[in-house]
Amino acid sequence: MSSPEEALSADEPLNDIDLSVLDGIREMFRVADPMPADLPERIRFRLALRDLEIEVARLTEEQELAGIRGAELSRTITFDSDSLTIMIRIDSNRDGTVRVDGWLAPPQRRELELKTTAESLSVSCDDQGRFAFARVPRGTAQLMVRAAEPGPDGSGRSVVTPALIL
Amino acid sequence: MAVDDRWPATVRTGQRGDRVHSDRGERIAGLVREARQGSEEALGQIVTELTPMLWQVARAAGLSAGDAEDVVQTVWMRLIAHLDDIHTSAALTGWLVITARREAWRVRAEGRKHFPAESESFDALPARGPGSEEQVIIDDQRRTLWRAISQLSGRCQELLRIIAFVPRPDYAAVAAELGMPIGSIGPTRGRCLAKLRVLLACTLEGDDVLS
Repeated sequence: MSSPEEALSADEPLNDIDLSVLDGIREMFRVADPMPADLPERIRFRLALRDLEIEVARLTEEQELAGIRGAELSRTITFDSDSLTIMIRIDSNRDGTVRVDGWLAPPQRRELELKTTAESLSVSCDDQGRFAFARVPRGTAQLMVRAAEPGPDGSGRSVVTPALIL
Repeated sequence: MAVDDRWPATVRTGQRGDRVHSDRGERIAGLVREARQGSEEALGQIVTELTPMLWQVARAAGLSAGDAEDVVQTVWMRLIAHLDDIHTSAALTGWLVITARREAWRVRAEGRKHFPAESESFDALPARGPGSEEQVIIDDQRRTLWRAISQLSGRCQELLRIIAFVPRPDYAAVAAELGMPIGSIGPTRGRCLAKLRVLLACTLEGDDVLS
């Protein structure tokens, strides 16, 4: 039996055992340091927006509140972008869907779209910047505030939030 | 060879035939072509397939999870501008790995004061709950591998981690950049893998003595 030191040269081509060891390393890191499962999806979403004049809002605050009837939690989430602040409140409906109420600051009339994996829902907000999606399926969703007449300071651009789990 | 018999068979997974390899190469090349012509779906498929590799490249450079995500996203955004120059799966993989590695270094240099010690990422393999007998064996093998790798230099750890996630037919395109010189018939083992193989052989030898 030859000693391993003699048997292994760095200059030899990769053989089956080398490939097995590399397979083992790959499996080990898949377990030890897994990629966030939704990362490819988030990157695909971001790439799809690349040609648009679009701002991506950042999540700046998230709170969970005891619901009115005690049992269900509701969440409030705040997103900030350069031109807009978006606040939303998510409550559970009895039928398993959720209700999303929100408002924009500064207040303005805009078209909004809520993209879920199943469908894309559209609403407008009122002069006070308030809007509501009454019934939204649970799961991943992304809110987009559609572009308005562009202002001199860059306001009016489309704004999109990161993906939310409803 | 003695080491063959002793290296646990369950670790030998994922071996695929040449036909699968060339099919994959053609499929990726096709997706790149479609992406160049503006297909979001083709681009998305490429992203889904190769993002796990880029995650490991960024993490292997010592970045935090948040920085790693930013780097991976930056690399994909940059690829868009380079699609015209990339025509094969190997060229794509090579470009992605090298760009991600450079970008990760750049980010790491900016935040160096937060950068953990070189070996920190290897301190502990996450413990798993009690599992089947088979799972226990697999966990054991992972621990053996983990211990062996943690004895390598930081540079070798990074190289092996990256190369392990590179699709096999594309090895040659990244191997030379990563310090695994190409021989006359393909990528060579390189010093890091040779060293690891010796460490593994020693560990397994030790286990034999104990049992």
